Amino acid sequence: MNTMKWLLRREFWEHKGGFVWAPLIAAAIMVVLVAGVVGYGVSSGKFQGDSITVRVGGEEVHRTQTAADLLTGHSRTEVASVAANNYIAIGAPIFIVLPVVAFFYCLAALYDDRRDRSILFWKSLPISDGATVVSKLLTALVLAPVITIGIASAAAFLILMIAGVAVSAQGVNLFGPVLGNLSLYLSPVYLLAMIPVYVLWALPTVGWLLLVSSWAKSKVFLWAVGVPLIAAVLLKWMDYMLALYGTTINADWIINNVLEAALFGLVPGTWFMDGGTALPINNGQGVNMLSVLGASWGSLARPELWVGAAAGVAMILGAIRLRRWRDEG
Amino acid sequence: MNAVISARNLTKKYGKQIAIDGIDFEIPAGRIVGLIGPNGSGKTTTLKAALGLIPFDGELRVMGLDPRTQRDALMQDVCFIADVAILPRWLKVRDAVDFVAGIHPRFDRSRAERYIANTRLKPEMKVKQMSKGMIVQLHLALVMAIDAKLLVLDEPTLGLDILYRKQFYQNLLEDYFDENKTIVITTHQVEEVEHILTDLMFIRDGKIVLAASMDEVGERYVEVMVPADKVNAANALQPIDQRTVFGKSVMLFDGVSRAQLSALGETRNPSVADLFVATMKGTYA
Repeated sequence: MNTMKWLLRREFWEHKGGFVWAPLIAAAIMVVLVAGVVGYGVSSGKFQGDSITVRVGGEEVHRTQTAADLLTGHSRTEVASVAANNYIAIGAPIFIVLPVVAFFYCLAALYDDRRDRSILFWKSLPISDGATVVSKLLTALVLAPVITIGIASAAAFLILMIAGVAVSAQGVNLFGPVLGNLSLYLSPVYLLAMIPVYVLWALPTVGWLLLVSSWAKSKVFLWAVGVPLIAAVLLKWMDYMLALYGTTINADWIINNVLEAALFGLVPGTWFMDGGTALPINNGQGVNMLSVLGASWGSLARPELWVGAAAGVAMILGAIRLRRWRDEG
Repeated sequence: MNAVISARNLTKKYGKQIAIDGIDFEIPAGRIVGLIGPNGSGKTTTLKAALGLIPFDGELRVMGLDPRTQRDALMQDVCFIADVAILPRWLKVRDAVDFVAGIHPRFDRSRAERYIANTRLKPEMKVKQMSKGMIVQLHLALVMAIDAKLLVLDEPTLGLDILYRKQFYQNLLEDYFDENKTIVITTHQVEEVEHILTDLMFIRDGKIVLAASMDEVGERYVEVMVPADKVNAANALQPIDQRTVFGKSVMLFDGVSRAQLSALGETRNPSVADLFVATMKGTYA
């Protein structure tokens, strides 16, 4: 247990740049941009008398003609509730950083120290290869998402507060109802509660990348992406040829279910994107985080998740074995 | 269990190429063994097998454990420096000490810090900012603070200047070695280690051609400066090597009594380097 703590710390030292600074910079850019726009708007009086449109994910959920509309109690609470429930979606761009960083992290995880031969230093210490690989797994699948959720939530909250300032420039104070809404504080917790689901869906990708990282003598990226790509082309070609004989190997199904699982599993919420699990959207209220959490856990009922996770675990075991015996010359 | 390493019919093949050809040897505890051989002779392969880094055939026990299946347990008592300057470039001195202290039960932190204090290393310094010599100093500081029963050094000073090399071996001998520890060293710089070795192992083409303690080597091998008039008499005793220095023949004898040889000329103990050259004659031919 103590060894694992230090192994994770080791990963953090090496990859602070990708896992902390990258999302932090993305968050800072977003906050600064929003603050700049709002600051300009407030100081030049652009918000005065304009209609206010509340959008969530591009979907219009509320529009007022004048600021006075907002002063009515019911409407005010409603807007505050939408804001408190959905503000976390503002952090979405930061979650795009995560899969990119995690993808390249996994590819390098068992390769870089072989390339610079520092593996011989790590192997001179009493650390099993299993513990090493598990520490990389935990870094990519738990540590990195937790850090990203933390930064994204903080950024989203800051932007919400800036928006609150903008609205109050119109004489509407939403701080009370927004800050008093429990959803505001629960949303990041809901995100954290989705991590186990994320781990399971990401296992095939992480397994594949770690396997390549542990096996390839060079050009890890080419192997990791090239093999599925060439496999896809070959499958398509075979399917085309077989179609002449009126049969099929179901190339599209394999590409969509196997090859995509091997490459895109690190994207948060893949289980919503492949159409297998419906994203719960209730009109007028935007997306309710609790129902998203529920639907995410509901995706555990899908058998393909478990097949993929099992394949991921098998590939991780393969990566451990390769690391144990790979002769680094 | 007094042998730290014992090998029986140890064999390693890379495809059809035989790297280690069924060797037997024993290394007892409390020795400093020089494993010496030309490039490609199988010395690094032998060490890698002992450290559980590669699969092999035959029997090999290190501290009574099989390095293939019991490597994790083995690494509690064994440490190695496998190559020069292989610490990861992003590692800070402070973090390196923290890390090893965190994971190694036999690491003595104050010892490592004491050693580092005697160098120009600073806690915030990263490996990528260090010279090759400084990286080795850091590595040695970490390794010397580990109370390992067996330390394996594979070319630990390759490419370092003479100041670092001398300091390296001096630290090893003065601060690290004691009768409970065993050190196995491979190196090309034979002259620099010969005075610290207790045992010598020559390896050639995957076979051990000489395994003896330094005392035995001193008894067995004698070098004689033979004046021209006694060359024929000396040749009759079958020297294993001879060269000419200032018109006198210098001959190396194996297993001829010193009394008999001193009649031929001035005798002395050969250097390990001369012995090595004589033993390895024709290796690259």
